[in-house]
Amino acid sequence: MKLFRRGRVLQATFGCNPNSSSLGVDVTFLLFGAAFASALAVVLGALLRREPR
Amino acid sequence: MKIARARPERFGGIVEVESPRALLHVDRQMMRELGYPDSPLWQLPPEGPLSAPREVHVVLSRRCAAGCRGCYVDATPGGAALPFEDACRILDELAAMGVFHVALGGGEAIELDYLFAVASHARRVGITPNLTTSGLGLDAKAAEKCRVFGQINVSVDGVGAAYAAARGFDGFRHAERALRLLRAVKREVGVNCVVSRSSFPHVPEVARLVRKLRLNELELLRFKPVGRGARLDEELTPAQCRELWPMARRLVWRERIRVKLDCSFAPMVFWHRPSAKAAAFFGVQGCVGGDVLAAVQPEGAFTGCSFTARPAADARIPGAMAEAWRSGFSEFRDYAAHAPEPCASCEYLRLCNGGCRAVGTPDPGCPRVQEHRSRLPLPVVAG
Repeated sequence: MKLFRRGRVLQATFGCNPNSSSLGVDVTFLLFGAAFASALAVVLGALLRREPR
Repeated sequence: MKIARARPERFGGIVEVESPRALLHVDRQMMRELGYPDSPLWQLPPEGPLSAPREVHVVLSRRCAAGCRGCYVDATPGGAALPFEDACRILDELAAMGVFHVALGGGEAIELDYLFAVASHARRVGITPNLTTSGLGLDAKAAEKCRVFGQINVSVDGVGAAYAAARGFDGFRHAERALRLLRAVKREVGVNCVVSRSSFPHVPEVARLVRKLRLNELELLRFKPVGRGARLDEELTPAQCRELWPMARRLVWRERIRVKLDCSFAPMVFWHRPSAKAAAFFGVQGCVGGDVLAAVQPEGAFTGCSFTARPAADARIPGAMAEAWRSGFSEFRDYAAHAPEPCASCEYLRLCNGGCRAVGTPDPGCPRVQEHRSRLPLPVVAG
């Protein structure tokens, strides 16, 4: 039996970058750590699927 | 969550959503679930360079009346500028490549009478234009026109006298006025603050200003010895390099503001060993030149980032940028595969990519590199 694997969000960057070099570190999000990142990936994936293209 | 557009990549695709404004990397299965057809890129291994930059810094001019003592582009009142027609044609080509955002800057882009026409053209072809400005000369009428931009950041390297000390002229009042005018018409307004050896102790004052004016972000940018900055001795001390990440965290907690650090600060963050999984998920990266980011210089050079002078192509020649993207930028893309110590054994190498090329490779500001060099035997000097 083949299990159906749902699609995943691999990376999320929020906002826009007005600079030549500010793509680096979003301190605010990085502070929340890996567990928050995993949870956010699931939530973003669910929200994406709800949205018709 | 409204999807604005998407493009396929080897790993799946990049999806731009409008609210909250975000770029999401998703896997192939998610692209299929969202209704996108299979891409020929999915026949390739998932690892590899992006099919196009996600964003491009378009340096519209080296023209600026301010004369800041550390200007990265060596701007002067009569400096070179990218003509309007060239800027629009380049934007057309970037849109065709699938670029999502452009960062418009200079020089002082607001001094160009066609800045807003360029930004409107970017919108028309589906690219979000963003802007960095000193705020000098920005009036209420110009602020109203700034609605066309996504994010606008005003350069504020210090508050009051600290501004004058950092930039070489007393422009703080003008910058603060510009921030108030812009904030009155839009929410996505923030501050850019260059962190140098001298300005480091004054950064918390800038953070308080961001909170006071209810701005949406504080971006801390590392001082780089580029342009007129090369004549200054303002690179961070080793102690400041180690203190940068703890200071940024304190600013987030104390001021309750969003703080971002530019890509050149990444080695100083990774030295504190944050979660690599979280860093990868939130796109925390060191050098992203020739990968996520590219730049177009006022003279037409297409470069890996605006701090490097080495052109991969002339952006004014039709098709040259797309061709260069496919085959060029090896000095950025191949670093991890051939990295020397101490980068080679660093667990963050794939994220950091050796740090900022504008300051040196491997990055001399990286605490790990500093520790490594301090352990090397001193050279023997023949007597």
